[in-house]
Amino acid sequence: MKNVLAWIRRHVNLGYIAAVAVSIAAALLIDAVILLAAGHNPVAAYRELIVYPFSTAAHFGNMLEYAMVLCLCGLACVVGSRVGIFNVGGEGQLLLGGLVAAFVGSRMSGMSLWIVIPCAALAAMATGGLYAFIPGVLKVKLKVNEVITTIMLNSVAAFVCSFFATSVWKNTRFNEGIDVSEFRFATLIPGSKLSTAIIGSALITFFVWYILQKTSKGYEMRLIGDNPRFARFAGLKTDRIVIAAMVVSGMMCGLCGMFRVYGAEKAFISTRVSNEYYFEGLMVAMIAQYQPIPTIVISIIFAILKSGAMGMQSVGVTIQIYWVMQATVIFCMAAQSGVMTAIRKAGERRAAQRDVAARKEGGAAHE
Amino acid sequence: MTDEIRFEHISMEFPGVLANDDISLSIRNGEVFALVGENGAGKSTLMNILYGINTPTAGSLYVRGEKVTEFSPKAAIDRGIGMVHQHFMLVPSFTVAQNIVLGREPKAANVLFDNKKAEQLTRELVAEYGLEVDPSAEVRDISVGLQQRVEILKTLYRGADILILDEPTAVLTPQETDELFEVIRRIVREKQMTVIIITHKLYEVMAISDRVGVMRQGRLIGVKNTCDVTERELASMMVGRPVLFDQLEKTGEPGDVAIEVDDLYVSDNRGLPAVRGVSLSVKQGEVLGIAAIEGNGQSELLEAITGMRKANRGTVKICGRDATGKTPGEIRAMGLSHVPEDRLSTGVDRAASVADNLLTGRHKEKRFNLFGFHQRRSSVERYAEELYEKFDIRGAGIRTEVGSMSGGNMQKVVVAREFSFDTPVLIISQPTRGVDVGAMEFFHTRIIEKRNAGAAILLSSADLDEVFRLSDRIITLYEGRITGEFRADAITKEQIGLYMTGTGEGAKA
Amino acid sequence: MNNSGPSFWTVASSTLHMMLSSATPVALAALGGLLTEHAGIMNIGMDGMILMGAFVAAAVAAAIGSAILGVLGAILFGIVVGLFFALFTVKLKSDEFIIGCALNTLALGLTGYFARAWFGVKGISSEAYFSKLAIPLVKDVPFVGNVFSGHSVFVYLTWLLVVVMWLFVYRTPTGFWIRAAGESPETLRTAGKNPERMKWIASILCGVFCGLAGAYLSLGNLNGTFVEGMSDSRGYIAFACVIFSAANPAKAYLAALMFGFFDALGGQLQGVIRSDLPFAYLTKAIPYVITVVMMVYVVVRAQRKRTRMAKQQFKNLG
Repeated sequence: MKNVLAWIRRHVNLGYIAAVAVSIAAALLIDAVILLAAGHNPVAAYRELIVYPFSTAAHFGNMLEYAMVLCLCGLACVVGSRVGIFNVGGEGQLLLGGLVAAFVGSRMSGMSLWIVIPCAALAAMATGGLYAFIPGVLKVKLKVNEVITTIMLNSVAAFVCSFFATSVWKNTRFNEGIDVSEFRFATLIPGSKLSTAIIGSALITFFVWYILQKTSKGYEMRLIGDNPRFARFAGLKTDRIVIAAMVVSGMMCGLCGMFRVYGAEKAFISTRVSNEYYFEGLMVAMIAQYQPIPTIVISIIFAILKSGAMGMQSVGVTIQIYWVMQATVIFCMAAQSGVMTAIRKAGERRAAQRDVAARKEGGAAHE
Repeated sequence: MTDEIRFEHISMEFPGVLANDDISLSIRNGEVFALVGENGAGKSTLMNILYGINTPTAGSLYVRGEKVTEFSPKAAIDRGIGMVHQHFMLVPSFTVAQNIVLGREPKAANVLFDNKKAEQLTRELVAEYGLEVDPSAEVRDISVGLQQRVEILKTLYRGADILILDEPTAVLTPQETDELFEVIRRIVREKQMTVIIITHKLYEVMAISDRVGVMRQGRLIGVKNTCDVTERELASMMVGRPVLFDQLEKTGEPGDVAIEVDDLYVSDNRGLPAVRGVSLSVKQGEVLGIAAIEGNGQSELLEAITGMRKANRGTVKICGRDATGKTPGEIRAMGLSHVPEDRLSTGVDRAASVADNLLTGRHKEKRFNLFGFHQRRSSVERYAEELYEKFDIRGAGIRTEVGSMSGGNMQKVVVAREFSFDTPVLIISQPTRGVDVGAMEFFHTRIIEKRNAGAAILLSSADLDEVFRLSDRIITLYEGRITGEFRADAITKEQIGLYMTGTGEGAKA
Repeated sequence: MNNSGPSFWTVASSTLHMMLSSATPVALAALGGLLTEHAGIMNIGMDGMILMGAFVAAAVAAAIGSAILGVLGAILFGIVVGLFFALFTVKLKSDEFIIGCALNTLALGLTGYFARAWFGVKGISSEAYFSKLAIPLVKDVPFVGNVFSGHSVFVYLTWLLVVVMWLFVYRTPTGFWIRAAGESPETLRTAGKNPERMKWIASILCGVFCGLAGAYLSLGNLNGTFVEGMSDSRGYIAFACVIFSAANPAKAYLAALMFGFFDALGGQLQGVIRSDLPFAYLTKAIPYVITVVMMVYVVVRAQRKRTRMAKQQFKNLG
């Protein structure tokens, strides 16, 4: 028993868990006020929030599917931030990856599923990786702010996707869409969007966690992210590793896009493949302080919030409340850590004053 | 003359560092007061208190007899205090005139900024003090010397009669330095201003100041009339350490040449030449010490040898192989390890554990990796424990964050790692800065052990006693050039001091 | 020339007309965003600020029946949003990017939620709005009239504001302080001014301008209607304009015109060249690519300049 406690103390940051819990609780309180202001009953709404995701298998499946997307996106961000580069361009990498994957599938009609799916996955990863390579190189070689370039490239990607999906690569009767239902991942829970893609995601999640936490590559990445000058001093090839991490981050996003297309949607329609999901994943990563395991846990919490928000429709609350909840959690988290920093600074100053006073008294005693 | 400024028992503590320790000092009206000391001695901190950037943790400050209660730059400016910072406080995209009037802009029609008036005011100041500079030039386009003039003009525009200059000559050419001194003399003579100048160049102290205060490790060591002291005395006050050590036993004969530097030119962060044509060689089983006052090119020289900085010209050979322009990793592979000058920014990953810091550089070795990629934490920790014991690191164990350790123990982590590589070449910079006496003895013993085992060691230290104690040969660097080379047992500290300040026989010849 | 289609001049003038109207909200937001940029805050929360402005303007106008009060409401709410943004980015020193993201998400959620909850499924539709102005004399001039007449009053107001902001940024002491706060905050502090205060001011003004931009969208452009997510990434476009123009108000307006032009061009091309290809998507992407190229160019140019200066100093010293 004692060993278990020691293990927990060493591996689990209880202070952090408390901080997240307090932030979520505070956010839900604020959201209750908002619900009241809109004339809804918070108690009834929150009951739905908790019950709905687990009420039927389909709801549960959709929830898991969404958690998978958040987790992949969040981890993609974690991979970049581990070496000190902030990939904001995941949205674009995800969309382009999905688009190219869908294109590949639509051109391989009639072939075996076992050939098409790997091809599509490779194409998606290559596309996403390449699209992340550009801002990565610009950052490393020219020190061009990667946050801004990736934001710009997101918009470019979104427009390019819309262009191809509504015109030259369109293969449906609808306004937009590249249909790939011929090759989709098998659905795991009937009536839900959950497909076997989640197995792939789980593998990737495990892989990322493993690389970051358990290998010497992950060790090198951590050094670079913490102190790039020290990493260079110690002889690491920092430039190359930073670009590589950015590319891997892009590949993960691209693959996530492919999973969305072949798993949940069975077609490429830009707004449905991703509705700024990457940004939500990014917020998850931020709340998780860019650590893999917390990213997984918080992805699930956010997915429950989203699924629960759907459930709240039964008491008249519209789905937009999900965004409100998400944002309030972030603001509570930020306020909390900001206030904590301020308190710590004040404490340090007081401690310094005490130190000097103590030293003086000590000195006087000697004299 | 009356007291213009009086510090009474001022102390300033930053988290973990006591930067100023109970300082009492008076500065008189109309004098040039020089404040000298090595980097980190607390000079800038003390002046930042005077200028209101730092609020002292304890003690009080009087300006013209009045006790200062509000510490802010604004209040300091209102008291007539101006400061030229070491890192210039200028907005690069603004013009000279706009920088000078910043905060107290002349206005047209009560709303708009009057650029013409600003330029005219600047011109008037320029004429009054003879500090030639173009008011409409953008600051980012003018030379460092001119930027400094803008800084001085700025303080004059704000009506300062107490002027603090923080290492004003660090970035200047000799001509620019002469011009600056001319200006200082003029404003003191004609405008009755009080000038405080922070520096570690001793000949400048002799050239410009009336009185001088020496600081060391946060304390004020002494205050003298400049005419009553020599550079040599000041140097010993600055670096001197009263503790005497036993002689260390040096054995063995020097072997082959392991470090060879030929005609090396290196520039500093601002692109100014820092090392100008240095050639040196170090043999196996020998310690070559570099004696130089801070900022004379020793940091840039070592960084160029280890690959942290690009050389403009010249070659570096490590163990007979060309290391010029190679990356730090490639140079390490040639057989070099490096204890860097600034351990916080270069020597450690503060956020990582002691074990992870000890591992760096060896992390790809077979014994720490299963199948070449899986990190074996148990082996890593066993190895770390071993070094932890061997180098007598004291702390809460190998899992503690390095950032939370004391300076001495942090340095032990760095030395343990670098010495464990057992390379034929060692570059060591400031091995004992901020380290207590006991730990210092430990480091010295280790360094001599390495020497006796046949390593070629290039050592740079601000502590002259340390250089003497460890070195077989000593070179003096002054303004990026070698001014002398000696056998350590054939010269005294006093003689070396002359070469370090560029006044030795070698420099004259 | 294709005789059956509209004449070149008709297409050109309607393209330019569209360019002016779609540049306006972007330019208004960019005028605010360039202040935060100058003050050293990376503000990607403009999209949310615009959206809230659009919502508040439409909601107030619908409730009170006055378009002017709607705009006033958007401005006042913009101040609140600016304060909120500064509270986190300046006071609590949170990550600017995350706060910007969260603000966008919050705006999307709050406006959508309250629009449904308070105004029902139909959304907000205000009777009071700003109608398009036909400018006497100008409207009768061929071509020119088609381009410059028939806009909402906001379009013309923006021209005035560009001039005012240019004067504010480059010709008033406060403008200098805001720029110094971003470029070299310690310099400003040692000059006795508080850089944090400048950041607060910049944030608040940014909120005001984004509020105006939002008010134009709902009350000026869409005849009093609020549509969910109607900011439609304009905040990001405004951000791109700020980066592109190096935060110069005049250049930012030109950048907004560029975005507006490519926005309008695509639709026209589709009509003229091939109706089955949605060129609009591709032309809309062009300005973003140009912005990235511009960023690279600025960095390369600065690097060249630095090496040149260093070389010169090396030479001087010998």
